[in-house]
Amino acid sequence: MNGIYVHIPFCERKCNYCAFSSFTNLEEKDRYFKALIREIKDFDEGKLPKNEIFEKDDLHKIDTIYIGGGTPSLFDSGNIEKILDAIKEKFDLQKDNEITIECNPNSLDEDKIKGYRALGINRLSIGVQSLQDSQLSFIGRLHSAEQALNAIEISHKHFDNISCDFLIGLPRQEPEEFIFDLKKVVDIGVKHISAYMLQVEDKTPLADMARKSPFILPDDDQSAEIYQKGASFLQKRGFLQYEISNFAIKGYESKHNLKYWRGDNYIGFGLSAHSYVNGVRLANANNFKDYYSHKLALKEVLDKRQLIEERLMLGLRCNLGVDLKYLEKLGYFIENNENYTNFLEKKIIFNENDRIFLNPKYYGVSNYVIVSLLG
Amino acid sequence: MERIKKIRNFCIVAHIDHGKSTLADRLIEKTGTLAKRDMQDQLLDSMDLEREKGITIKLTPTRMLYDFEGERYELNLIDTPGHVDFTYEVSRSLAACEGAILIVDASQGVEAQTLANAYLAIDNNLEVLPVINKIDLPSARPEEVKKEIEDVVGIPAMHAPCISAKDGLNIEQVLEMIVKEFPSPKGDENGRLKCLIFDSYYDNFKGAICLIRVFDGNVKVGDKIKMMHTGKVFDVTEVGVFVPFAKPCEQLLAGDVGYLAGSIKNLSDIEVGDTITSFSDPINEALPGYKKVQPVVFCGIFTVDGAKYGELKDALEKLKLNDASLEFQPEVSQALGYGFRCGFLGLLHLEIITERLEREFNLDIITTAPSVYYHVHKTDGQMIELSNPSSLPSPTEIDYIEEPVVKAEIFTPPQFVGAIMELCQDKRGVYKDLTYLDENRVKVNYTLPLGEIIYDFFDSLKSRTKGYASLDYELAGYQKSDLVKVDILLNGERCDALSLIVHKDKAYQRGRALTEKLKKIIPRQLFEVPLQAAIGSKIIARETVSAMRKDVLAKCYGGDITRKRKLLEKQKEGKKRMRKIGSVEIPSEAFMSILKLDDEDK
Repeated sequence: MNGIYVHIPFCERKCNYCAFSSFTNLEEKDRYFKALIREIKDFDEGKLPKNEIFEKDDLHKIDTIYIGGGTPSLFDSGNIEKILDAIKEKFDLQKDNEITIECNPNSLDEDKIKGYRALGINRLSIGVQSLQDSQLSFIGRLHSAEQALNAIEISHKHFDNISCDFLIGLPRQEPEEFIFDLKKVVDIGVKHISAYMLQVEDKTPLADMARKSPFILPDDDQSAEIYQKGASFLQKRGFLQYEISNFAIKGYESKHNLKYWRGDNYIGFGLSAHSYVNGVRLANANNFKDYYSHKLALKEVLDKRQLIEERLMLGLRCNLGVDLKYLEKLGYFIENNENYTNFLEKKIIFNENDRIFLNPKYYGVSNYVIVSLLG
Repeated sequence: MERIKKIRNFCIVAHIDHGKSTLADRLIEKTGTLAKRDMQDQLLDSMDLEREKGITIKLTPTRMLYDFEGERYELNLIDTPGHVDFTYEVSRSLAACEGAILIVDASQGVEAQTLANAYLAIDNNLEVLPVINKIDLPSARPEEVKKEIEDVVGIPAMHAPCISAKDGLNIEQVLEMIVKEFPSPKGDENGRLKCLIFDSYYDNFKGAICLIRVFDGNVKVGDKIKMMHTGKVFDVTEVGVFVPFAKPCEQLLAGDVGYLAGSIKNLSDIEVGDTITSFSDPINEALPGYKKVQPVVFCGIFTVDGAKYGELKDALEKLKLNDASLEFQPEVSQALGYGFRCGFLGLLHLEIITERLEREFNLDIITTAPSVYYHVHKTDGQMIELSNPSSLPSPTEIDYIEEPVVKAEIFTPPQFVGAIMELCQDKRGVYKDLTYLDENRVKVNYTLPLGEIIYDFFDSLKSRTKGYASLDYELAGYQKSDLVKVDILLNGERCDALSLIVHKDKAYQRGRALTEKLKKIIPRQLFEVPLQAAIGSKIIARETVSAMRKDVLAKCYGGDITRKRKLLEKQKEGKKRMRKIGSVEIPSEAFMSILKLDDEDK
């Protein structure tokens, strides 16, 4: 089944660590929404590049929509409704669907939440990041810990399926403190947690801050410690680590995100939105001007080598694993890789019925394992 | 005037940056050997040629014609290399000259190398004439510098030309000085042939070429000649001079400097310092000063990508065409696979070759620690020679080991004697004697193990004496020594490419330093990696590379998979520079780390 991603590239303020496509010039909003809806309406499957290796898969049926950003929750249900209507007009949205919207605690109120619910949105992804005020202000968030907890509690009245985003590797962060933060949201009834390692990207305010006070951020070992302790806390509370950074009570895994890891098709609409359709990766331009003139930032028809690399990279970072038969069909016999046997022996990876999985203990060093298994 | 009276053979010596090559260029230009514009073109052309043919065309020696007081003089400028690895080559070049111009910078005055090079020329019985350069600089103080030369070097300098090679100022005075002050060569052009080979190079069309100075007799195309030391015989196919490119001529006579080709296939058939004479009418005694040039430093060279063994072989063969002193033979390492054990004149030579392999042949190479040849006497009475630590038999089979030693002569101003003795002591040197040559110059003699001086002895010597001391050494046989093999174990596995042979007293220190260094170089892996140094089964040092804990990609925003894949591809590329020893991945530079140990110990 296929998914749809919609990008809303607006924020009230750009976070200090953010290196992604978001803008604070809200005056662009009307023109952008118009263009976005036009893009959805004009979508033509036939015009997409083809990958010979792939059989064509019908894109018409969809069962997930993910409205991400940016901060989609800057906009109330009226704005969002037009987008969803356009999608429903063009695509066949299945009954058993998952529709997610990304929210920031400071831009949520009960009316907005109710409005989203009424549109059929059934999942909220809330950017909490931390429940320590000093850390929140360090990374440039506009909300306090209290505001975040409030927002979660109100949301929980109307939504059963809520995910909270957290960051690992914040200034002077300690494992106990991270667990304390997690406990608070889990106690409210949040059933999905995404915990990402803070990445210091070039040309962000965070990069300057880290340069000026190099010891303020936990080092790799400390971050790994926070990550591992957080993961085992969540496991104790009944969460399943179904991906490196994602934890869910059974049945609450993100259907949309799983499409990324599984290699399912997803169509991206909006500025800098990425699509993956039958072996082809596309991305829209990442500035307004080029987006309005329908320019692409990326068009990649994946060859066999790239498909193999992606399968290993995506399959091993989640509990879906990698089907060895699929790799063999593409011409890669992993048994010939000397690291493969070594990793099996050391229980770094498991092989169950010709499907290999990364031992979750090694999620934190997954890159190393994946790179060792590539070709 | 007699022909030979109109020849001047000379070289230029100087401290670095005092203007040696600029003066050479000006002399060539001033004598009309090459016009200023052509000079540039000429040089460039030659370099293209070098690249195309993989040969090195040496621009020197250069013959210049200079008219003075109604006579046409022939001035031969002979260039000299400037490093201790090539001391012998320098001495042979000097032996082809009668005079040396000593350039001194008018503001900097006498510097360390001014002194060392001046003495080298004086010791080779050359007439040394100072020239004060860079007088155009505001800070120039020519009169003081002249006084300094007289006081420190001890040669008259009051009438030294004051020039600016850069601006072409007073170059005429230098040319006049060359003609008036340098002695002309002595020799009998009708006598029996006696030539010195002072350098050589390889030409793809003509074969190996000898650069020669004729002392007696004459040589022309068709002559049958004999190399006195190697005994090899060749028919001369071409003789010529450099103007500055090679230009054939009819014959070379006593006093001349030029080149000789003779369908000589290999550069190794020519030995620098050898004497050429006539096959049919030979002289009895060769010129003095000949030494067989032998590699003294050996190391293993491997490619990072094992599959490129063939390319490495081709590259070494090509380099060998131009560099007879380079030796190599196949070697197999458990850790590094197939490669070559190569021999060099010294560490600088080693560095030049490895750099050329990387730059000119685009090879990623791994070099193991440099070593010398040991004589290993086994308990069964056999003696084996080896330079590769991993070929050392087990301790129970070894009766004793001998290591090569050198007689080292260190020339220095007296104030550094203490520092030098301390250094030599530290390097297991045995003091021989100390002579005051004059009030400014002392000669210190030591016997030193060659294995100690190949590392960083020369650099330490320079830094401890502010560059003033100079070193000359010659092999002085073998002596029994208490040597042990230190092995490095990575995750419990011996890595043959990291073994080294050291003196027992230094084994602990070296073992510790090496494991510490490796800890810094080896990246963290999935498992903790113990690093151990061992003598036999005894562990003498231990460090641990702790397990990697974080190597994970950040959030993938809105399904941007491409960015992630590209990051992984980059990481995969980086991995290719790693070598796998057992289950441990180590970067190729780790193997050379043994060499750099001493720098950081200080």
